[in-house]
Amino acid sequence: MGERSVLVIGGGVAGMQAAFDLAEAGIKVFLVERTLSIGGRMAQLDKTFPTNDCAICILAPKMMDCYRHGNIEVLTFSEVISVEGEVDSFNVKILRNPRFIDEEICNGCGDCAKVCPMGILNKFDMDLRVRGGAYIPFLQAVPLIYALDREKCMRCGLCKVVCGKDAIQYDQRPEIVEMTVSAIIVATGFDALDPSSITEYGYGRYENVITALEFERLICAAGPTGGHVMGKDGKEVKSIAWIQCVGARDMRDNRPYCCSVCCMHATKEAILTKEHYPEVETYIFYTDLRCFGKGFQEYVNRAKDDYGVEYIRGKPGEIREKEDTNLEIFYSPSSDKVERLEVEMVVLCTALIPSEGVEALAGVLGVELDEYKFFKLKDPYNFTETTRDGIFVAGYCQAPRDIPECIAHGSAAASRAMEVVLGGNRNHEKSQ
Amino acid sequence: MKSEKFIKTAVKREKENVSVISDIINRTKAYYCVECGKCTSACPLSRFGDYSPDRMVERALLGLSVKPDLRIWSCLTCNRCKELCTYGVQYPEFIRELRSLALEERERGICAHGEIFSVMKLLALPHENPQKRLYWLSEEMKVQEKGDILYFTGCLPYFDIVFRDLEVHTVEIARSTVKILNKLGIAPVVMNDEVCCGHDLFWSGDTGTFKRLAYINIQNIMSRGVKKVIFSCPEGYRTFKLDYPEFFDLDFELIHISEFLSERIEEGKLELKPLPGLRGRGAEPHSRTDETVTYHDPCRLGRHLGVYDAPRRVITEIARNFVEMASTRENSLCCGTSGWTNCDSFCEEIRRERLRECINTGAKIMITSCPKCLIHFKCHMSNRKGEYDIEIVPFEVFVARAMGLV
Repeated sequence: MGERSVLVIGGGVAGMQAAFDLAEAGIKVFLVERTLSIGGRMAQLDKTFPTNDCAICILAPKMMDCYRHGNIEVLTFSEVISVEGEVDSFNVKILRNPRFIDEEICNGCGDCAKVCPMGILNKFDMDLRVRGGAYIPFLQAVPLIYALDREKCMRCGLCKVVCGKDAIQYDQRPEIVEMTVSAIIVATGFDALDPSSITEYGYGRYENVITALEFERLICAAGPTGGHVMGKDGKEVKSIAWIQCVGARDMRDNRPYCCSVCCMHATKEAILTKEHYPEVETYIFYTDLRCFGKGFQEYVNRAKDDYGVEYIRGKPGEIREKEDTNLEIFYSPSSDKVERLEVEMVVLCTALIPSEGVEALAGVLGVELDEYKFFKLKDPYNFTETTRDGIFVAGYCQAPRDIPECIAHGSAAASRAMEVVLGGNRNHEKSQ
Repeated sequence: MKSEKFIKTAVKREKENVSVISDIINRTKAYYCVECGKCTSACPLSRFGDYSPDRMVERALLGLSVKPDLRIWSCLTCNRCKELCTYGVQYPEFIRELRSLALEERERGICAHGEIFSVMKLLALPHENPQKRLYWLSEEMKVQEKGDILYFTGCLPYFDIVFRDLEVHTVEIARSTVKILNKLGIAPVVMNDEVCCGHDLFWSGDTGTFKRLAYINIQNIMSRGVKKVIFSCPEGYRTFKLDYPEFFDLDFELIHISEFLSERIEEGKLELKPLPGLRGRGAEPHSRTDETVTYHDPCRLGRHLGVYDAPRRVITEIARNFVEMASTRENSLCCGTSGWTNCDSFCEEIRRERLRECINTGAKIMITSCPKCLIHFKCHMSNRKGEYDIEIVPFEVFVARAMGLV
């Protein structure tokens, strides 16, 4: 069999934890990440609940630990395109997309980005900031290797001129890497739902209706506005309302599940706002406050009592933009009459849905998804086992959960994968 | 003894009703309601008056009586709440079934037009003396007795007479539709023995009469060998498409004229030219204007059936300056009354708001594809002469004008 190893798909917090645990146990891990950097969704967050710890400050050391670990090989900008064989010997093909910059040579100096004349919206910053055609998605990106956006760049050739290391390779081609692994862990995480289809809230039509992840970038000191919460006109806003369960707990589009984090992240975002600007009015429209975790209820109590965040029960039925771009929210708190609230910004806590491309991946892996496209479990008592032997699942791609739960799930999946790799009595059992 | 017996039956009936209400709750998924108030905050009635869908549901769920509440007749059944409800509560159906229940106890809504419309349903039943339903046809229009394509006229000939003082000219809608079809080389079947589609009866809770009307219509249509029925009225279209199949099997295709025309445009079989002089008859008919035009989504065609794009596809072909109102498509404001019941000052407020939205766009013409929306807006405007400088134009008439047919 040779070297026994595990493939981890997805370099978010759950995938990194799984990879790290396996590596520490002496098992070789291939960590495959679709984007340019590991870190996942947590890297996009400003702070975490319920402790208000800086997200990237916790995450960055973990990212480095993973990347530098002797037993972990990180393959960024890569996708799994084929899996054959079965448990103990999966033959995996991985597509490595070209960065057009030599990974071995680039030292991350950023000279190419400095001279690049292009302005392209940065997906990591929820399209709120412009990056160059030569770029890293964010400052703390791991690995610190630049990439060229050849689709959008105008191919002026400046980057090649300035690169002191001569790392620019315009003729780089996609590459397919093959490997044999004993087990696979899927940790592909989530995407935030685009709320444009929920037309009553006017996302995409009204200037100052934004999503919670966009707000997360706005309030982040390293974000596009340096932590200033401002509307599209560049003025700092004086009142903000959060609306929860936007697209979640919604039978209209078959998404009746609770996303499990938006009660808390709305609370967090309101507290952060109050810490930055105590005078800003903050309102949270909730359906049911689901503060089930350790310290969650206390966190909400603090938001109410110490910070003066106002919680209003009810789902608004409509938002209207006024001429001065202020937003008028219609809601009915006690089912008796319609109330109106005027604010300058509305933050939609959108449903979190399994990542784009998860169906194709499930096809490649030969595992089943449930009706909401979360990875299906073989049985409810083995909560990391997918419907195929030797393929495990960790994090939000299996079911809604918060960061600590994703980390725990990552560790759990790693320990099950270890059984496959180290146990070695599987084939023995079968032959009996 | 006698009084005791009476009480027993009364108690028994009360119990029966309770079980019926729980059936309604089950059928319409009212038990999913979490009282988030989303429906109330968007309901056009509660915006201007005192009405709350989720309070009604709450009362029913708690086992409190909902019948004495006259409010069950106020609901516009416009589907705004159903469209918004994230839990899948079918409030319009909930109301419709409650009305059925109330009707059994001889409780009914207040007809806003005296009793004319309850007489109309009798008029619409087959009579010994055949009516002259097709009085609006003229020599140059080509129609047939039998054929593949049928045009279901609906109440247009009646409305034209009842609302003569409002100058709604609803038969113009029928005339325009036939002329447009003729221009496309189609001589539609029109039926003198057509009866009321039963929409208003169904939504007022009279399911029995509704079924009888439906049966007659389906028989009449099938006996003519019809393959496709075209509607100009969204209510008739909704009733045939969603309600008839609950009780009968239909073996003919149903389509709204806007969908039919939009298909012809896509196929390249219908070419509409930007219209010179969009405004009414007589007003500068030959000078080219770029009048701003907007479209009012009728609840039956829009939220009930999801037809939003087809009318816009046709209108934008004709009008170069097409604008949308502040509330549009699935978020459209209603015309304020449904089933001719409980029209009051709140309903007038809804109409005022909707017309204000139209004025705010700068549009001089508001197109709608529903004759009742036309009637309701015209009624509101006729009581406030000089206040509104806009024209409400039926969709079919607008298209016929563009084709030079009227």
